[in-house]
Amino acid sequence: MTAAAEPIVTVRGLKKRFGRTEILHGLDFDIPSGRIYGLVGHNGAGKTTTLNAILGLTDYEGEVKVLGRDPYRNRARLMEDVAFISDVASLPRFLKVSEVLDLVEGIHPKFSRQRAMGFLEGTDVKPRAKVGNLSKGMIAQLHLAVVMAIDARLLVLDEPTLGLDITYRKRFYRRLIEDYMTENRTLLITTHQVDEIEFMLSDIIFIRDGAIVLNRPMEQVAQTYAQLVIADGDRAPAARALGPIYEETRFGQTVMVFEGRPRGQLSGFGALSTPTLSDLFVALMERPSGARS
Amino acid sequence: MKTTLALMKREYLEHRGAFLYAPLIILVLFGLSVAGSLFTDRVDMAVSVGAPTLGKMFEVGLVVMGGLWWAYLMAALFFYFADSFSADSRGNSMLFWKSMPVSDLRVLATKALSGALLFPAIIFAFALASATLLYLAVTVGAVRLPTLAPPLPADALSALANVGALALGYLGLSLLWYAPFYAWVGMLSTVFRRWSMPLAFLIPGIVGIMENLLLYGSGGPDGGYILSFLRSRFQFGFERGEMQGALFSDTPISAPALLSSLVETIDWTQMGIGLVVALGFIVAASEYRRRVLDK
Repeated sequence: MTAAAEPIVTVRGLKKRFGRTEILHGLDFDIPSGRIYGLVGHNGAGKTTTLNAILGLTDYEGEVKVLGRDPYRNRARLMEDVAFISDVASLPRFLKVSEVLDLVEGIHPKFSRQRAMGFLEGTDVKPRAKVGNLSKGMIAQLHLAVVMAIDARLLVLDEPTLGLDITYRKRFYRRLIEDYMTENRTLLITTHQVDEIEFMLSDIIFIRDGAIVLNRPMEQVAQTYAQLVIADGDRAPAARALGPIYEETRFGQTVMVFEGRPRGQLSGFGALSTPTLSDLFVALMERPSGARS
Repeated sequence: MKTTLALMKREYLEHRGAFLYAPLIILVLFGLSVAGSLFTDRVDMAVSVGAPTLGKMFEVGLVVMGGLWWAYLMAALFFYFADSFSADSRGNSMLFWKSMPVSDLRVLATKALSGALLFPAIIFAFALASATLLYLAVTVGAVRLPTLAPPLPADALSALANVGALALGYLGLSLLWYAPFYAWVGMLSTVFRRWSMPLAFLIPGIVGIMENLLLYGSGGPDGGYILSFLRSRFQFGFERGEMQGALFSDTPISAPALLSSLVETIDWTQMGIGLVVALGFIVAASEYRRRVLDK
């Protein structure tokens, strides 16, 4: 593997314990450059702990390499090439907007104040405003402007839009895609609002109870999983015999999700489509444990 | 260097209330008090104390003011260290600071550096401003009391230079002497936040009491080794009566003489050990901060 093709993030056998409880049970995954990864799971599934390990914020068992470095030992050096938002409300409230920009400009060698100011143009975030007096949405805009003005190779977003209204959330993701992402940049994002980020993801990882249950490029998801909606109840038993991984009833129709089943075998039973990420998430989360893809 | 200056500026912005606004208010109140006293008969009181000349009064005033500013700084620094070492987690902002390419040790070392250099420098500047006010007061006092001659500007400058140098030397040495105490409060703050303030006294107090309970009657100093060591470690300054002697003598204060005397009284081995211990506390605090993600 050439240096250029080396993954941005390599995780092997990642385990994390809090006391006697093991939270992560040996995760393995790579994140190549230029991709947009979604990390999705229930509350307490281990998403934030995984991100914290990648960002060098917590110790762990196993091996984690980010840009070739051990993040826990080299967090400070790593943060020159990695930017993250772990909580929209984490900007220091005692500072004014201009003071935040001054500070980051003084600390971060890859921060461009001019770019940050450019991102803030047209928003309600004014340089003389105190962060503590801004609304949650405006703080999110400011934080996003700050991290987007850092020339980082990896951007990690952990629930970046939590608590924001739909307008801010849409604007947030649009800005990220239009103004930030390039082929040299990699994005890793977790959120509960899976449907809102589905359009931008290149890859998806589902995590359940500290273990990965799905790790696929989005195009493979469409090839692997199929959703069948059966209006005629008499056809359901025959479809069920093909082994759906999930089944539910919606408005009198039977909905089944299949894994690895050729679409030709399913098309005769009803309307066939690719499940949305939220449908697939529900299907895989409710699947009996141990069946992992 | 750019990073250190940016982090120090952040400390200034966060704690300017204690080191800029509050001293400014004190200075304004002092100015108003001086102005008020000059326009009342209270000036006569100063004369009745028996100060020989206005020049000496000015010098004594400088020393007293320097002492008061020093006491203010020492108290403010205690609260600063008790607050700043855990301030990054305030308002859930620890994750923001952790996203910056700065190690935990560097962040805490910069906080300590701000407490050792930046804030003392600001307070020293306020002390100099107070000195100017005092000179004005003495000069106007001389106009109100024509029997007393005001200090000549050259004499006043000489007094200011001597007392200023003395204050600077005393300040620097006392900060070095008390460094382990401030670092101790800072380290506790990293773990216990605001509870570090009572714990800074409570922990050594309890350990000292336990020593007394366990080893009572086994000899040793009065109050036990720990408490008597801490008592001696808290003592800093001139030999008894030395400063008073200099203040009430007819000759002007000599900074070199007093400072060399102060340097001789310092236990330099203890000073060195204290600085190493202070460094150890800061490193321990940074390791805790690195390992425990305290949002």
